[in-house]
Amino acid sequence: MKKSDILIIGNGISGLFAACVAADKGKKVQILSYGAGTLTIGGGIIDVLGYTDEGTPVADPMQAIAAMDAKHPYAKVGADTAKKALDTFLKITEEEGFPYIGSANENIWLPTAIGNFKPSCLVPRTMNGKALIAAKNILVIGFDTMKDFYADMATKNIAKRLPDKNVEQLIVELKFEYERDLRDISAMDVARWLETEAGYRSFVDQVKSHVKPDTAIVLPPVLGLDPNYKILDTLEKELDCALVEVSSLPPAVTGTRLTKMMTAYAKKRGVQIIEKARVVGSEIIDGKCQAVITEGFDRQRKFYADQFILATGGVYGGGLVAKIGAMTEPVFNIDIDVPKVQTEWSHKDLFGDKKQIFAQFGVNVNSELTPLAADGKEVASNVKVVGRSLAGYDFCVEKSGNGVALITAYKAAAAFCGEA
Amino acid sequence: MAINKHHAIDPDKCTACTICITACPVTAATRKFRGPKMTGPALTRLRKLVSDDDPMLDYCSNCKTCDLVCPSGVPISTLNMLAKNEYYKTHPRKSPADDMLAHSEKMGKLITSIPLASTFANLGMTIGKSVGMLGAMGISSNAKMPSYASESFISKFKKIKQTSYQRKVVFFSGCFINYNQPEVGVDMVKVYQKNKIEVAIDENFVCCGSPMVAGGYIDDARVNAAKNAKLLKAWVDKGYDIITACTSCGLMLKQEYQELFDFEGMSEYAEHMYDSVEYLAKLHDEGEFNTEFANDSTEYIYHAPCHLKVQAIGRPSMELLPLVPGIKIQEADAGCCGISGSYGFKADKNPIAMKVGAKLFGKIKDSHAELGVCECGTCRLQMENGSGVPAIHPLTVLRKAYGL
Ligand SMILES: Cc1cc2nc3c(=O)[nH]c(=O)nc-3n(C[C@H](O)[C@H](O)[C@H](O)COP(=O)(O)OP(=O)(O)OC[C@H]3O[C@@H](n4cnc5c(N)ncnc54)[C@H](O)[C@@H]3O)c2cc1C
Repeated sequence: MKKSDILIIGNGISGLFAACVAADKGKKVQILSYGAGTLTIGGGIIDVLGYTDEGTPVADPMQAIAAMDAKHPYAKVGADTAKKALDTFLKITEEEGFPYIGSANENIWLPTAIGNFKPSCLVPRTMNGKALIAAKNILVIGFDTMKDFYADMATKNIAKRLPDKNVEQLIVELKFEYERDLRDISAMDVARWLETEAGYRSFVDQVKSHVKPDTAIVLPPVLGLDPNYKILDTLEKELDCALVEVSSLPPAVTGTRLTKMMTAYAKKRGVQIIEKARVVGSEIIDGKCQAVITEGFDRQRKFYADQFILATGGVYGGGLVAKIGAMTEPVFNIDIDVPKVQTEWSHKDLFGDKKQIFAQFGVNVNSELTPLAADGKEVASNVKVVGRSLAGYDFCVEKSGNGVALITAYKAAAAFCGEA
Repeated sequence: MAINKHHAIDPDKCTACTICITACPVTAATRKFRGPKMTGPALTRLRKLVSDDDPMLDYCSNCKTCDLVCPSGVPISTLNMLAKNEYYKTHPRKSPADDMLAHSEKMGKLITSIPLASTFANLGMTIGKSVGMLGAMGISSNAKMPSYASESFISKFKKIKQTSYQRKVVFFSGCFINYNQPEVGVDMVKVYQKNKIEVAIDENFVCCGSPMVAGGYIDDARVNAAKNAKLLKAWVDKGYDIITACTSCGLMLKQEYQELFDFEGMSEYAEHMYDSVEYLAKLHDEGEFNTEFANDSTEYIYHAPCHLKVQAIGRPSMELLPLVPGIKIQEADAGCCGISGSYGFKADKNPIAMKVGAKLFGKIKDSHAELGVCECGTCRLQMENGSGVPAIHPLTVLRKAYGL
């Protein structure tokens, strides 16, 4: 196999972003990936840091990052590089015609599918939570036969959380055929319907008369399947109000859009993506990784590179493999330090707001993101680990998933390109 | 060493994450399909308890996009195919076309063995279409049926004088190349000879069985698999590598046989299997690929077949074709073409197939390319039918570039 400058293992947001950054700096980049990333089931929004360890909301993520516990991935990157990473991401979205809004120094509060609010940092324009706060009237729109979004619950909760607003709800009729031989309707189906001329017209006709002056509409993520704002822009113009998609459950329309955008950007810059390539091991000589090894139904193949970025994610997707009382990272065969007794992996209160112990398991790295073995020695000097594979944070509780992925990916790629 | 096949048919590896639903092209095109997650792993678990009565199964086209995006390695499409085959044991088939489309080799054999039969068969197709006979058989009048060649590839091959080289491969041509587009097979031999490779064929090879599995005739596919597996193993034992130029044959022989059947030698010969362009790309990596090309100023658009994408070999054609001086080639990157072997030829599936392929057709038309390029024969037909732009095999581009 031909040699690349930088080889990235994993096709999630961290692998894709590292590829974009390195390719922009002129490197020959190859991605090996087995399956799509978590992004395609996740929200497509960039949470950077929503809550402190004590559970208080973070106003300025960059300020909070500067004061982070040394074990946290952010502490190994620092606020300056973190900001550069997020600015680079914003620039890429701009260039791809799908600009995100927000700033590294501020959190935005977004409505969730049940009408609660969650903090995030960079979001697509379809999820501009600030428009809700600014409007006098809020119109929650549901679709009569769509599952997974209950407009009445969202309406009640939003009214409770924003008592000074006039919150109303409207159910749009889809008039889809409905019989035993047809499957349930998801947000993706409604998004497809809105992309048709008939669907778009029907939506506008049903909604228009309910929009009072100074209104923001809240609706499930249905404003187009592709990374652009065509539907949002035309609807906002025609209805003369803001539209805000809720952060949603899988299958995720919003995450799919961002995946498409990042993949397109990477490919345009010559990044070669080899799909369905499962990396099962590596060849390390004198402390340097020479190649990684893939395995399929036919044979093993070796992929050589000067530098390697491990972006294989967590237990979901196989980046980390958990067994009873043990956990390993399978590509570089790194033992993860975990309690031998399984009951010590979690707090009793599974869905509490305390960080979970097991959620923080991952690969230990030094300040250069170089992986460390159980004995504290470097696994290979030309390997860096990014994204959910890293130890030391619980993205779910602190709201930092895609932020850690982007920020660590940027640091690794930039460092491999000779930038500190 | 290859993957342990016993991982293969395990629905419990599915974490119900829904990634496959976001990617499935048939799910996007019709609500008649429940989607890969439900039809595959979820219902497979249920089928262990109760017998199946889910007609939605029929809508899976076996394009394998679900397998491509699944991070847990669940063979979703194969679970669907197994369930479909179970279903048809106790349920009537939707149309008489199923049998014919699944057994394309039988048709091909019949037609190419009788002098002038291909002329009449192709004529028959045209007339059949105009008088609605194909419609009565359950074949879409909208699809472009493959036409039959007057002489099979095997017959043509025997007339080719090859130079003998140390590097030897056996070419599994498959039905489409053998009966419908033998010139692709001839191009393969010419291009391989230019690269100092001697090509052998084996007249005892039979249809790989891919259309049989997709059409619900798995028992017939098993018989063919037993024959092919034994022959392929014997070639590998003699020191030959195995080459396919149809990505569905390639996938079937090296992967789906291992998922579906249990014959000796399958993983051993699979180690020596290559797609025809992948093999040349490997030569290129080793510095042994012949790049004495003439100029070619044609504008091409390349479509990667779904069954190539899941082979974890990247895009070998996009590595080699840009080496031809003057060439302009871009990748369409527009997802599945919709045809999925025999799927899009069926009357009830054709509208779905055309909807699935719409993005690709648009891309081809907008590109203003003169020719499409694709490894898969039925994808090429679908590209032509949907966009009006003719499509050729990458080996044909190389053959022309060699000035042959
Ligand atoms: C349901 C859900 C919703 C979420 N919502 C949000 C949200 O709204 N905002 C937010 O900021 N974060 C969210 N997160 C968290 C966020 O999605 C993840 O933290 C982030 O996507 C991790 O990205 P990653 O690139 O590190 O890993 P992943 O996305 O997991 O990517 C890893 C990739 O590597 C591949 N891979 C693994 N092993 C191998 C191997 N051996 N060989 C080759 N390839 C391999 C995997 O198949 C996968 O493609 C959510 C997570 C979930 C599960």
